[in-house]
Amino acid sequence: MGYDPKNPMEGRITDLGPHKYDTMMPPVIIENKGKWLYHEILEPGVLVHVSESGAECYTVRVGSPRLISIEHIREMCDIADAHCEGFLRFTTRNNAEFMTDSKEKCDALIADLKGRGNKFPIGGTGACVTNIVHTQGWVHCHTPATDASGPVKAVMDDLFEYFGSMKLPAQVRIALACCLNMCGAVHASDIALLGVHRKPPMIDNDRITGVCEIPLAISACPLGAVKPAKAINSQGEEVKSVKVNAERCMFCGNCYTMCPAMPLADPDGDGMAILVGGKVANSRSAPKFSKLVVPFLPNTPPRWPETVEVVHRIVHVYAKDARKYERIGEWAERIGWEKFFEKCEIPFTDKSVDDYRLAYDTWRTTAAFKYTSHTDAYTK
Amino acid sequence: MAKHDTPMLDELEKGPWPSFVTDLKRQAETHPDCWDILGQLELSYRDKITHWKHGGIVGVFGYGGGIVGRYSDVPKQFPGVEHFHTVRIAQPSGMYYSSKNLRGLMDLWDKYGSGMTNMHGSTGDMILLGTRTENLEPLFWDLTHDLKQDLGGSGSNLRTPSCCLGESRCEWACYDAQDLCHHLTMHYQDEIHRPAFPYKFKFKFSACANDCVAAIARSDFAVIGTWKDDIQMDQAAVKEYIAGNYPSNAGAHKDGDWGAFDIKKEVIDLCPTECMWMEGDELKIDNSECNRCMHCINVMPRALRPGKEKGATICIGAKAPILDGAQFATMIIPFIKISKESEYEEVIDVIEKIWDWWMEVGKNRERVGETMQRIGLPTFLSVMEVEPIPQHVKEPRSNPYVFWKEEEIPGGWERDVVEFRKKHAA
Amino acid sequence: MAMSIEEVEAAMIAKATKAPKPQLYIKDFYKCDPDRKPREIKNIANKLVSKGTLMFWSSGSTTMYALPSRIKDEEGDEGIN
Repeated sequence: MGYDPKNPMEGRITDLGPHKYDTMMPPVIIENKGKWLYHEILEPGVLVHVSESGAECYTVRVGSPRLISIEHIREMCDIADAHCEGFLRFTTRNNAEFMTDSKEKCDALIADLKGRGNKFPIGGTGACVTNIVHTQGWVHCHTPATDASGPVKAVMDDLFEYFGSMKLPAQVRIALACCLNMCGAVHASDIALLGVHRKPPMIDNDRITGVCEIPLAISACPLGAVKPAKAINSQGEEVKSVKVNAERCMFCGNCYTMCPAMPLADPDGDGMAILVGGKVANSRSAPKFSKLVVPFLPNTPPRWPETVEVVHRIVHVYAKDARKYERIGEWAERIGWEKFFEKCEIPFTDKSVDDYRLAYDTWRTTAAFKYTSHTDAYTK
Repeated sequence: MAKHDTPMLDELEKGPWPSFVTDLKRQAETHPDCWDILGQLELSYRDKITHWKHGGIVGVFGYGGGIVGRYSDVPKQFPGVEHFHTVRIAQPSGMYYSSKNLRGLMDLWDKYGSGMTNMHGSTGDMILLGTRTENLEPLFWDLTHDLKQDLGGSGSNLRTPSCCLGESRCEWACYDAQDLCHHLTMHYQDEIHRPAFPYKFKFKFSACANDCVAAIARSDFAVIGTWKDDIQMDQAAVKEYIAGNYPSNAGAHKDGDWGAFDIKKEVIDLCPTECMWMEGDELKIDNSECNRCMHCINVMPRALRPGKEKGATICIGAKAPILDGAQFATMIIPFIKISKESEYEEVIDVIEKIWDWWMEVGKNRERVGETMQRIGLPTFLSVMEVEPIPQHVKEPRSNPYVFWKEEEIPGGWERDVVEFRKKHAA
Repeated sequence: MAMSIEEVEAAMIAKATKAPKPQLYIKDFYKCDPDRKPREIKNIANKLVSKGTLMFWSSGSTTMYALPSRIKDEEGDEGIN
């Protein structure tokens, strides 16, 4: 018996919640939960956790494009069944982890994973570029300013050597959000790729009365740039609509979220911004926001070479210049952001100077700064 | 046989990172609708713009969350993705799965959906990507009856809570993040499935200050593990690190050319509070100066461990930039015991104090962090019945415009200007 | 005199019928019984949804309430081009 459309409420079950976590954990995890003494990364992507009972849990971490098929997940299940007593887990950065309770089983697991082409790259641990957390982009979202899976694939291809090694000064967390809604919450990442719009919304006067609650669209604008207005639709009829003060628009897209008759996406208007220097962990220094260093790069599918190149440059300059343990933001603060722009050869523009609310917090209010190429006009 | 030519996407089959395009093509062999996903995405790559449109009204009856509607704006070209709704499935705490459960979910999605998923979405749910409106109720029926599990949250709901893996496989966990997360997820099923608030509300649970779920950056209610006694220290293990017998940072820097481990440079000098020093070959910590940032513990996991009296710090009000700028969560409760025995009553009390206030005072589409910012931290602290302490601020305010209350001033605010003028000519 | 649940429900339905816009935020219902806590109002509104009297309307990020008869199902099952 299954769903009966004639009696949709008959036998309906609601509010079950997820399965309890301890019904789906491997035995070595169940037995040693809360008893772990220490861990060690044996090689990139391979960890051992040692329990006070002497038990060991070997974990192999593999990358994933996050957008994965049921066939791919079934293959993961096959691997878990063959080596891991039928269990696996996913990390908060979209990697998958396979766990075993012995070195021998772990070696067999690694051999199996390596025999499956490039589907399950091993890595993502320690001082590496781990998997990029990202959003949906053009594959599923209605408000994106760029794609997500494509640029992520292109950037990870370029930085692949850093996924499977641990030679950076610290971990580099990259994230991509395909519009300013930031479903991916990229605002505290070492490197954040952010889809941005640059054209104000259009007004579809044929549809606005049908699909929009105009007061909602008006109140959605943080800058009061959307005002009620009468307009003429394509039939020559007067309709209740809105007008947008383009001068005040900051291209956030919040109006479109509330009103589908105000589309703002555009092939030339949209593209990618790059923000750097954020972190979440409290270690050494407080969590930091990512800062806007590249205001715009064009959308250049299929492989976004401009974006890939800038990320490549930042990671490589950082890799050479930063001290052990220093995250990108800590490094940039130590050398000074003026040096960051110079060393990374990123042109500094007025777009990196905040002129939104609380902007003053980011302006320099000291006479202490470093001379760089930016001050040549004054000093040379 | 490919249904559409995808020359641009084919470029994304090259390179060492696993390719979602290759995967989609593999899935298309049994799920031909995947050709239309590829076809429409190729069109977006050509046009440099999305071809999905606003969701409209879809969901399962009685739930205000868990399904996000999505339609193609070119359905004639790509009928397989005409409807392409998202189904959010609540993930188990810590994201451990049995292959049996995953296979069950995949069979369900084989039957009703496109064959594509996200493992996982940003909030933490398992995302099933792309199904038709008429499949939603049957899918929900099978999900609840056969797999005994449920949808996650969306809209103005409590979003599906998420946590790090906590004690299950981490020696740094200061509380059982999985259990707290699961308990509250079950306790608040109504708030997860039906709208309850002015806007979304997110719980995230990190069992230490390394904060692997980014709770402090993106949750309205962040519970971050900590301790209140001394860092546990094993001097014999300290010596092993100094001798180079244990790898620093648990081996995280193994491939770098960083030279021998230098405890002064890598631990003592990087301590933000400068509360560590060596006495002979013994490491000393002035724990009263420690701010529990985790750096030294991260670097020497076999020598240093969090203290024994564990609990959590509660930080409130983080959000992404939309609209007035990003906010990190503000530290409100320095230490709270996370007690399974009391069924987390202490934590629930804090949550419901926030909700009662925010539901009343919060504006529509205002996250609690924005309400706190608008109303002010002093008021929020008094609502929370928390005494203000220096730990609530990075530094004291530098502007002098204090909102004094009348009852704080001797004689109150009522004065007689006529009496005043008798002594002070105008 | 405290309002009964039935009275609050009737006030909510009246509000959803007469409001200038069909979609209402949960806060719009608070005034239907100022003596009740917001969470009680929320429970009553959600009960009305489970009876089919009201429905949820979602923008994806925000969920609102509406009378089913006042909502045009723009996307419909046919889809539009």
